[in-house]
Amino acid sequence: MEFLNLVVIFAAAYLVLRKPHKERLAFGLLVFSALFMAFLFSMATRTGLLPGVNY
Amino acid sequence: MRQSVLYSILALAVLALAVIPIGIAVFYLGFVHGDSPCVMCWEQRVGMALVALVGLFVLRYGPKPKYIGLGVLIAIWGVFMGIRHTGMHAARDVGQGFSAEILGAHTYTWALLIYWVCAATMGLLLMLTRKEDIEDRPRPLGLLGTLAAVVFLVVMAGNIVQAFASTGPPPFMGQSDPVRFSFSPKHWVWSLEEWSPAPVSLRGRWAIDKPSLDGLPHDPAKGPIADTAVLPAARELRLGVPLSGTPTDLAYDPATSQFLITTEHGVYLTDETLAKLNRHAIVDAGFAVDLGRFAGAAFVDGGMVLAVGENKSFVVLEPSDKADADANFRFFLESSDRFDEKARSRFGTVRARMMYVMSAAYDPATKSVYTVTVPNNKVKTLVVSRFGPDRVLSEEFSPTLGADAGLALTGKRSLGEFYVTGATIAGGTMHAISAAFNTLLTIDLQTRSVTAARAIPGLDRPVGLAAKGDELYILGESGRVWVVGQ
Repeated sequence: MEFLNLVVIFAAAYLVLRKPHKERLAFGLLVFSALFMAFLFSMATRTGLLPGVNY
Repeated sequence: MRQSVLYSILALAVLALAVIPIGIAVFYLGFVHGDSPCVMCWEQRVGMALVALVGLFVLRYGPKPKYIGLGVLIAIWGVFMGIRHTGMHAARDVGQGFSAEILGAHTYTWALLIYWVCAATMGLLLMLTRKEDIEDRPRPLGLLGTLAAVVFLVVMAGNIVQAFASTGPPPFMGQSDPVRFSFSPKHWVWSLEEWSPAPVSLRGRWAIDKPSLDGLPHDPAKGPIADTAVLPAARELRLGVPLSGTPTDLAYDPATSQFLITTEHGVYLTDETLAKLNRHAIVDAGFAVDLGRFAGAAFVDGGMVLAVGENKSFVVLEPSDKADADANFRFFLESSDRFDEKARSRFGTVRARMMYVMSAAYDPATKSVYTVTVPNNKVKTLVVSRFGPDRVLSEEFSPTLGADAGLALTGKRSLGEFYVTGATIAGGTMHAISAAFNTLLTIDLQTRSVTAARAIPGLDRPVGLAAKGDELYILGESGRVWVVGQ
């Protein structure tokens, strides 16, 4: 899944560099990637969502 | 001029973010040294890439609030990821951690600093932004901006290669314990372990229930030890002193012929008949070490009083007729002229770390304090911990059944099912009363084994145990005291 997310980031950066008029699409990819990152991290830490220290 | 300088600084920041943490991680640590990120490291790395990408958006489209806002959100999430990841290893011994170390700190720890700097930079950028800086159309990136974008794309390409080899295409996902990076497909391990069912929890393994006597099984015949002998009470007493709250433990000092009774945060010294109150105090448990609810009581170091909280924090008090009430105001809520506080600290354990205690005992021969754990919703192990004269952990063990004790466990039952709420040491032997199955355990501290287990009929919520002469006094939560022979 990290592979997919990095491809999306690459695509967004490419749009910014070479096709700047596609701003909305690039920003959409950026937002998707950020949410996808948060989802994957939460998936990986769902058995203890808060930092695993003494409370 | 001012605007171009700001964009140049931003381009350099994007370059630095792409090259130093992300570029070094993939090209040097990954491709040269075979370092492979774990699933959490991957997301932290992706987050840094996203912050850099937000920088590229600003370089191209100007400092629009939605870009800066998203950048701040990503950086805040990054700080959280850094704390979450660092928290897993923060309490380990010095030098221990997970995977690679850079300049004395492990990689996930650096993420904390990097994200914090990113968030601070975004805030600064927002402060310096003027209305006229926000443009409606894309602006030229310039040489530095273009260089930043190209380098970013190259670094992302490297990460895509590493991610494909290390984590695989969807639905494969990063791993908790990743395999060393290799360009050879024969060494690639793609895993679906993170998709496997697992309970969702906020505090995870730290969500330990506080100890409670409610719902414990009382019938000794249903305990983990088969055919437990019966030890009937020789007589029964009742506490004759007024307590503020219910009692939580009992101890006896033969030198002064006094009993010590604890309540939630109270200490009471009585005469040897438990009928006359000699002195008492209510300890102020706030504003310093969190003492927890007192659950263990013992006389230590020649007449001093030890009260141990269920969280293994403790306070040592010295009875005194010359105590300065005003000076002691900070330590006591009640009777601050009857004791002086000598110490307030915490017992640290290893095997008992994730467990609470409801007992404390003192061995004058070794000048050591002992605690015994109670099982909880996560850990069900009986652990005896000894703290030497320096109050530091000196010994820790899980008792086994004595070889010559003639005792046997029922089926696959465990000694960890006992719920020890009172303990005392007499002649080098520990006696421990379990509120579960109303059983008195005798533990040989030399062989670390249970040498006797006897059922006490009629007990009701026992919370304390003290040795006086040849007898054991078992204190119940209701103030009843059962006296049995050792």
